[in-house]
Amino acid sequence: MHIVVLAKVVPDYLVPSMDFELKDNRAHERYSRMLGLYDENAIETAIQLKEKTSAALSLISFGSENDVQFLRKAAAMGVDQLILIKGQSDDAAVIAQNLMAAVKTLGPVDLILAGQQSADMDRGVVPGILAQMLEMPFIPQIGYIDSKGGEWAVTQITATGKRELEFKGPGVLSITSIPENVPRIPVVRAIFAAKKKPVTKLESINQGKMALTELGVEIPKTKSICEFIDVEDMNAAAKTLLTRLTEERYI
Amino acid sequence: MPRVPYWNIDFGIVMDLLAIPVIFIFLYGFYRQWLLIRQGKMRVNPDVGKMIQGIAAFQPGAFFVRGILNEKLYRKPFSGIAHGFVFFGMAILFIGTNLVILNVLFGLPVFNGAFNQWFMAFGLDLAGVLALCGVVFFLLRRAFMPERLKLPAARKGFVIACGLLGGILLTGFILEGARLAAGSLEIGAFAGNLIAAGFIGNTHALSIHTVTWWIHGLLALSFIAYIPFSPLVHIVLAPVNAGFADPAPGVKMGVIDFSSFESEDSEEAPLLGADKLSDFTRKRFLDFASCVWCGRCQEVCPAHSTEKPLSPKGVIVTMAERLSKGQLDEPVWDNISMEAIFNCTTCAACMEACPVSINQPKTIMKFRQNLVMEQSKIPELMGKAIASLEQRAHPFFGTGSGMAEWRKDLDVPFFEAGETEYLLWIGCSVTYEQRAQKIGRAMVNILNKAGVSYGILEDFRCTGDPAKQMGNEFLFAEIAQQNIEEFSELGIKKIITLCPHCYNSFTRHYSKLGGDYEVIPHGSMIQMLMDENKIKFDKKPQRITYHDPCYLGRRNGEYEAPRALMSAAGNLIEMPRHKNESFCCGGGGGNYWAEETGRRINQERAKEAFDTKADIIATACPFCLLMLTDGLKKCTEETKAFDIAEIVASCLPDVSRSS
Repeated sequence: MHIVVLAKVVPDYLVPSMDFELKDNRAHERYSRMLGLYDENAIETAIQLKEKTSAALSLISFGSENDVQFLRKAAAMGVDQLILIKGQSDDAAVIAQNLMAAVKTLGPVDLILAGQQSADMDRGVVPGILAQMLEMPFIPQIGYIDSKGGEWAVTQITATGKRELEFKGPGVLSITSIPENVPRIPVVRAIFAAKKKPVTKLESINQGKMALTELGVEIPKTKSICEFIDVEDMNAAAKTLLTRLTEERYI
Repeated sequence: MPRVPYWNIDFGIVMDLLAIPVIFIFLYGFYRQWLLIRQGKMRVNPDVGKMIQGIAAFQPGAFFVRGILNEKLYRKPFSGIAHGFVFFGMAILFIGTNLVILNVLFGLPVFNGAFNQWFMAFGLDLAGVLALCGVVFFLLRRAFMPERLKLPAARKGFVIACGLLGGILLTGFILEGARLAAGSLEIGAFAGNLIAAGFIGNTHALSIHTVTWWIHGLLALSFIAYIPFSPLVHIVLAPVNAGFADPAPGVKMGVIDFSSFESEDSEEAPLLGADKLSDFTRKRFLDFASCVWCGRCQEVCPAHSTEKPLSPKGVIVTMAERLSKGQLDEPVWDNISMEAIFNCTTCAACMEACPVSINQPKTIMKFRQNLVMEQSKIPELMGKAIASLEQRAHPFFGTGSGMAEWRKDLDVPFFEAGETEYLLWIGCSVTYEQRAQKIGRAMVNILNKAGVSYGILEDFRCTGDPAKQMGNEFLFAEIAQQNIEEFSELGIKKIITLCPHCYNSFTRHYSKLGGDYEVIPHGSMIQMLMDENKIKFDKKPQRITYHDPCYLGRRNGEYEAPRALMSAAGNLIEMPRHKNESFCCGGGGGNYWAEETGRRINQERAKEAFDTKADIIATACPFCLLMLTDGLKKCTEETKAFDIAEIVASCLPDVSRSS
């Protein structure tokens, strides 16, 4: 069995909004880089699946050569081989095209996992496009995966509840965050072993670009507004607070 | 009439002959203890000095003060005094017995004149009476055991030991009484005289004397033979353990050399931390063997006293039992839970309370290192903090503050190589936690006011301490190396710290990685400025209580400088638990990022501080400040907790506390 996990190295996704700034329409390069938030959940899920099924586990990433140092964390967590496609495009179709090419170099694969959405672009579309290109089923927001006699039993978790699904053959799943897939802290000897794991580097292809043009990027500006609520009567104050938060659509 | 050896005893030599095998049994028992202890790993540490048998360097001062005089025992006056009665009483009686032997062998005139009256008669009677009182106290306490002795298990063998001791003492008095009743009363022998006059008539004195002599002698020999096979083994092991204990205060985890992981196949590299008895050193084996299961560590442990699974006594007792059963290689996780291991706040209160100088936190931290670095097991929030440290060089994941927010609108110089004298090390909590940011601002105001040559780093990185305390020594070493390299490039020699955790890291651990600096906690720096009249402020009519941060107080012995500042700023009042007996805020050992079970430690400590009715609760650690601020919410809506720098800054002319 061969499982593939897709991951992207992104700028720090927890930079406080007051401290966040853009450069050339993207996060400033001064921010630390790291594996994407949901990508780490996907890697953890894939490793747990690998441990259960004794599958081989490959990671494919589309990014720059500098990303290798961050991808090694996935190797330390338990990924067997790293594949980096050297490319810079933010176009979801181009990225999917490149990922497809890399997947095909691996021969038959049984399952492809990806984070629910990248921590920088926040689109969540690449795995879906890739599934379509590979003619595989795509199921987003998956929490739990089980292998049952050649079939995959998965649980889709959304804000409103969960849905259990089953499918046969290979598929692409995007992984959401659940308590069971909190990424592990790699053990020290695995960190050192990961340094020695080879990284396959592939050149990117720049085909199939979507017909759209980025005109501008804006991030919301943080502003502080202070409003005092009279607390003489605590019950009334709580009601007022609730009303105000609802009015402002915070809740 | 002087006493005559073997008076009224036929074949007394038999007792002497019996003593020979008993001495062999006694020596064999201790040899057996050594065989157990030597199964531990030899320590290889060039810093330790002249190491004995790979255990540690021997400190005669500690051996005498903590081992023989039992300095720590008296912190619990009743059991301390009772122990003193038994130990010193028996020691005097032992000396007396040896003087008798010297009298028999060499005719040493011990039964003559004033020496006989005041030492051999009165002195030994008094020692015997006091020792007997102590034995009765301990027997009663075994009958009505306090929780600390009972849980998680009471050590067996103390009742037999006390019974033997009591028997020896009682038969000793009867023997003396019978001797005096058969002859004449002796000035000074008040106990013997009382028994002779009150209980033993002339008619039976000789036969009572003969029978009791044999019983007394046999009991004494049994007792000696029993010592190394019973809890009484601590008579020897406790002073030895005190002598081998690290002389510096607090827990020192040392640093791990990871080079073998680089050079070898990392699968072959040595195990990190410990998951079984055989992973520990001989010094830890000596700790386990010395433990008397008294539970003083458990009683002062902030985790245990707030109903969390950790008991430092439980951990040591588990290891002691494995040592006695020879279970060297069975993993401990069936007996010691991961939750318990991460409950430890590394406050070192257990170490401070331990009368036999055991380093409980070191054992716990070794388990923690193994869980994190070998098994990838860590509570979720701590794991997030570690991941953040690795990704962002600080543990405050999800902080709403940017790196420069703490110094917004303040004129703070950057450290310039060759120009600036002190590096003002801000630390992660002051940088990223809004409440703690005010400490940095206050300190900047004080340093500016005093005209100190200082500067900060443009980019911030943590010291790595949280990683180390959470068991990730590897991440700590990586971060520390980066800091050391940066400090070297900037030529930094003197560092002012705002956080005792940073202070502890720089002084204890960076030096072992090649970073030697003069490090000054901010309280000491402010006191220095005050002593040099560089800052002046008037006392305010405010009552201040001071919470000792564990990493400043117990771990580094700094109690006075913050108190001097608080006494200058107001009227200092102490909490019931203060200085070396201070109670942790709950945030140490990475537990700032813990999801606590049981009662909350910070609320317990905040209540203790609040109950002093102080206007201000001062501390000298940003983590303590954050924990106390949170804990106080249960007591009051007022903001009462402040850092010493904030309090001093608020007393300075033209500087307000909220700056």
